[in-house]
Amino acid sequence: MSATAAAREDRPGRGFGSERVREALVGYLFIAAPMVLYGILFFYPIGYALYISRYDWGVLGKIDTVGFGNYRELLHDHRFGIAVKNGLKFTLAFTICSMALGLFVAVVVNNAIRFRGFFRSAYYFPSIASSAAITAVALFILSADGLFNQITGFDRAWFGESGTALWALVGLNSWTTSGMVMLFYLAYLQSIPTDVYEAAAIDGAGAWRTFWKITFPLLRPGHFFVSTLLVIGGLKMFDQAFIASGGSGGPNNSTLVPVLYLYRVAFYDVRFGYAASVGIALMLIIFGLTLLQRLTFGRTDAN
Amino acid sequence: MADADVPTQKDVVPSAEARLVPPAPTLEPALPGGTVPVGIPGRTAFERSRTIVVYLLLFGIALLYFVPFLWMISTSLKTLPETAYFSLLPKHPTLHAYREALSTFHFARYAANSVGLAATVTCLNVFLCSLAGYAFARLRFPGREVLFILVLLTLMIPDQLRLVPIFVMFTNWHLLGHYHGYVLIKLASAAQLFLMRQYFLTIPRDLEEAAKLDGAGYFKTFWKVMLPLVGPAIAAIAILEFEGTWNDFFWPLIIFNTAPDHYTLPVGIFSFVSEYQTLWPQLMASSVIAIAPMALIYVFFQRYFVAGMASAGVKG
Repeated sequence: MSATAAAREDRPGRGFGSERVREALVGYLFIAAPMVLYGILFFYPIGYALYISRYDWGVLGKIDTVGFGNYRELLHDHRFGIAVKNGLKFTLAFTICSMALGLFVAVVVNNAIRFRGFFRSAYYFPSIASSAAITAVALFILSADGLFNQITGFDRAWFGESGTALWALVGLNSWTTSGMVMLFYLAYLQSIPTDVYEAAAIDGAGAWRTFWKITFPLLRPGHFFVSTLLVIGGLKMFDQAFIASGGSGGPNNSTLVPVLYLYRVAFYDVRFGYAASVGIALMLIIFGLTLLQRLTFGRTDAN
Repeated sequence: MADADVPTQKDVVPSAEARLVPPAPTLEPALPGGTVPVGIPGRTAFERSRTIVVYLLLFGIALLYFVPFLWMISTSLKTLPETAYFSLLPKHPTLHAYREALSTFHFARYAANSVGLAATVTCLNVFLCSLAGYAFARLRFPGREVLFILVLLTLMIPDQLRLVPIFVMFTNWHLLGHYHGYVLIKLASAAQLFLMRQYFLTIPRDLEEAAKLDGAGYFKTFWKVMLPLVGPAIAAIAILEFEGTWNDFFWPLIIFNTAPDHYTLPVGIFSFVSEYQTLWPQLMASSVIAIAPMALIYVFFQRYFVAGMASAGVKG
């Protein structure tokens, strides 16, 4: 592709009329490969998902036309209900925990007079490590005779009990994501003008009061941006739940999050038609929550 | 007024320039203590205790972030019986777990797959995204804005929606269980294209026009004049792409599910966990193998990670 482009351009103008037509053709040529890929791998699959969702679809293809039957089934699907509930529970806790941890770390790092760059990079490190490897480490540390129990004196397999498995995932994900949250908050912290702090200091406000009365409210655009990212990310969480539960969503469906459920319907039950409708429902839930968040935050921001 | 506070990605990422260069640490801390005017009594004592508290906290947090990794490395150097003793330093450090992970449990093969796939995807994407980013930033053609909106729209389509249709399509096209099937999926990355376009927009037009006057064609102008000017952006998207592919678990799991010799490191770790969960030293050794190369790249190129993170944020 590149070679033909180069060759064509070396012959000035011939056969292509004006310079503008030539420029347009070269433009189309330069974007051709990505655009075709987006068409095949993003836009076509949306339509195809809608199409598949109207069939009972197995390994070998269509089995039966069911129309909206898959969507009707979804409304009464007990396990889908569990998955959505787990997903929302996880997302809420994960969003709050990683925002709190990330903001706390950002405020501390912002205070550092020396080595600020070093601490910033160090804390971001868990965010770039492979999710699979991190989950393996968490399985080890949170196992019944693992390091965590050894330090804290607890005595339980955190991923092995239905009461704690989801919370272990919340802890694991909040820990890895907090580095990213910290970086965003640092950028927002540095955009707060220093004279507000001078005014607060002259009024004799302490560090705690200054944080809650000034820093926290002024970070509102940051809260909105970060929470939007985390809510979407939380609803899409898959890797950690899949690896920690060995693909089962167990124990007792406690880590069955929406995407894991989708995976199981597709590849364990081999019901592609139904899985496609689960995927579409999931996308609608994600869009709906994002919109809701935008509307509520947007309104209070306008006041 | 109403939209003044609604953050878009521009709020966080004011310009391509700012995104690629992480904010330089300011010397003056932007917090109350640092801005109290000199001369207020008790300031130095207050400042000193405050500094001590801050650094204690900083090291405490560092402990929280690093102990799991240190524990991983330490365990990978132990033998299975020794993992019962909770000492950070292994008594008789041995590479036995690494040898076993690499040969008996095929992690050498998985590592080779990961390296090959990540390198292929990165090279192809850097070329395609910079070429298309240049076209969207500089060349004029009908429908350019609409097409660019389509590019951005792909960022909103979640992978979970694409999972079933792409699996069915790839089954029909016999792309499952093949390296090129996976590469094809990773080749469409709008975040990187977006980043390149934004960066090209910041390059002054003069140089290009000079090249054109010299009679250079469009591709030659792109390749010889423009590409060398966007080095930082190339580095950022290359690292972002490499990291994304190296750590990717979802798509390799789906594409290579039935072809264990095609597994990448993350999928290999999953299959090891589900089969031999309690062989901790070997599992930790394989985790080190999956994390260490990224860590090394991070140490040397960390400022580009920060740049990449901004667009990973865009990706959502």
